[in-house]
Amino acid sequence: MISPFWRDYGFATVIVAACTALSFLIYPHLELTNLVMIYLVGTLVVAGRGRRGPAALASALSVLCFDYFFVPPRFRFSVSDVQYLWTFAVMFGAAMIISQLTIRLREEAEVARESEQRGTWLMEKAKKAELEAETERMRSSLLSSVSHDLRTPLTAIVGSAGALLAKEPLRKAPGVRVLLENIQEEGERLSHLVQNLLEVTRLESGVRLQKSQYPLEEVVGTSLERLGSLLKGRKIQTHLPENLPLIPMDPALMEQVFINLLENGLRHTPAGSPLEVSAKVDGKGVLVTVADKGPGLKEGELERVFGKFYHDPSSPGAGLGLAICRAVVNAHGGHIWAEHRPGGGAMFRFVLPLGDTHGN
Amino acid sequence: METEKTLLVIEDEPAILTFLRSSLEDKGWHVEEARTARIGLELAARKKPDAILLDLGLPDKDGLQALKELRKWTSAPVIIVSARGQETDKIAGLDAGADDYLTKPFGIKELLARLRVAMRHASQRPEDAPPLYDHAGLKVDLIGRRVWLRKKEVHLSPLQYDLLAVLVRNAGRVVSQSQLMKEVWGEEREVTPELVRITVHQLRHKIEPDPVRPRSLKTEAGVGYRLEAGED
Repeated sequence: MISPFWRDYGFATVIVAACTALSFLIYPHLELTNLVMIYLVGTLVVAGRGRRGPAALASALSVLCFDYFFVPPRFRFSVSDVQYLWTFAVMFGAAMIISQLTIRLREEAEVARESEQRGTWLMEKAKKAELEAETERMRSSLLSSVSHDLRTPLTAIVGSAGALLAKEPLRKAPGVRVLLENIQEEGERLSHLVQNLLEVTRLESGVRLQKSQYPLEEVVGTSLERLGSLLKGRKIQTHLPENLPLIPMDPALMEQVFINLLENGLRHTPAGSPLEVSAKVDGKGVLVTVADKGPGLKEGELERVFGKFYHDPSSPGAGLGLAICRAVVNAHGGHIWAEHRPGGGAMFRFVLPLGDTHGN
Repeated sequence: METEKTLLVIEDEPAILTFLRSSLEDKGWHVEEARTARIGLELAARKKPDAILLDLGLPDKDGLQALKELRKWTSAPVIIVSARGQETDKIAGLDAGADDYLTKPFGIKELLARLRVAMRHASQRPEDAPPLYDHAGLKVDLIGRRVWLRKKEVHLSPLQYDLLAVLVRNAGRVVSQSQLMKEVWGEEREVTPELVRITVHQLRHKIEPDPVRPRSLKTEAGVGYRLEAGED
């Protein structure tokens, strides 16, 4: 197989040979100089392939063939009339100029086509970005309408139970109060679950984080506030240094992390046993620990508890909470893991990276 | 009982309307209902309610748009209702003149507390606000510019005091981040949301016995801060 590089030189040779053959046919009927035109057309055809080397070869071969086959004395390179030397020079020059111009024209056309293609490519890219933004907008609005649809009945349920609890005579009827409080508290729990599902959907559909610098204390505070009555009878110890730097985070998602870790702790430890939240600067991040004094995790569970829908059959819970914690922490560029707490209990720890702008 | 006050509830969900009407009437409110923003605006003009509860997710018109139209001619307190995760709507609502907000699901107790505070603020001019605040061991004297926690005087930096004073003047009401920036730092000084958060953080360490679980200076996630209403 001839390489493409040499193929164009072969093509040039073949074309010049064809021109020579054609010239033999025409030679008896026309002036000698008219044959030059045939060779020029041949050179032009070679130049049309777009390479300078083969075009130059065709120009040179044309002159040689014209001289050898047609200029008297024929079949010899010597020339009888000096004026033919001029003819050769002009012929070679014209062939070279025409072929170079043709090649340049072709190259410019190519550049134009490439930039057009590039333009189309850029336009397609812009269209794609626009489409992605549109999809994200649609996802967000879908999420907020699902959120609205789920929360409306919950609001009516929790609100109605509360309204009944506020009616004095009814509240005093035997057993009624416990049942109404049951409805209210479970409704609130359901609302936490809905929140969890929405957060996981939000994360998985790739909605961007709303990051800003926050004091960890404020986010832990809002988590405890939202857990509200679920923390009844529990001691929550917090050790958050006052001078802890601000941490770049999406506060709504980080709040969910603390709520999930604390709820997890509440579920797996006996009533009345304390929970502990602490944090400290650790290298380029902040190390946060949520620890309990419960039965702790089994050896093989340390990693598995973070799997989606993993749950301990002996306790309630859909097994989404810790999976969401991991997804949120990872989305913040951090990592989360579980450890055995020295002295008994489980310890969930995560590191959140500090941005470049911390410490103000 | 004092003269009955009228609350206009602009809400499209019948189930929510039912429980609101039932418990508000028990507490002596007269309730007017509107299922759409258009009817709500019409009723607001005709019935001149003492307060308005406005759901931001209405079917016919954007709740925010309705709020802006209401604010063109009435100063009756407006409390907006919105879901969690729609904090930008809440902020826009407060900027457009809402007095406070509730997040679904909310209880009747919360609603009554918001209404009480909003009615009080509506009936008094800012300069008539009580100059003394007292709640959960925290005392603030706006005239003498002095602060006590559990009877011990607390010394605040001028910035921390200014921030606390804005919250005291709005006691019981949410104060948005941007409102704090405007009222504490003023338009001309460079201020970032981070600076507000740091100032609140430092303030809490001086006026809260347990700053992680504040009893007075609460965080309204994604919106701003609220100083619990003082004891009357």
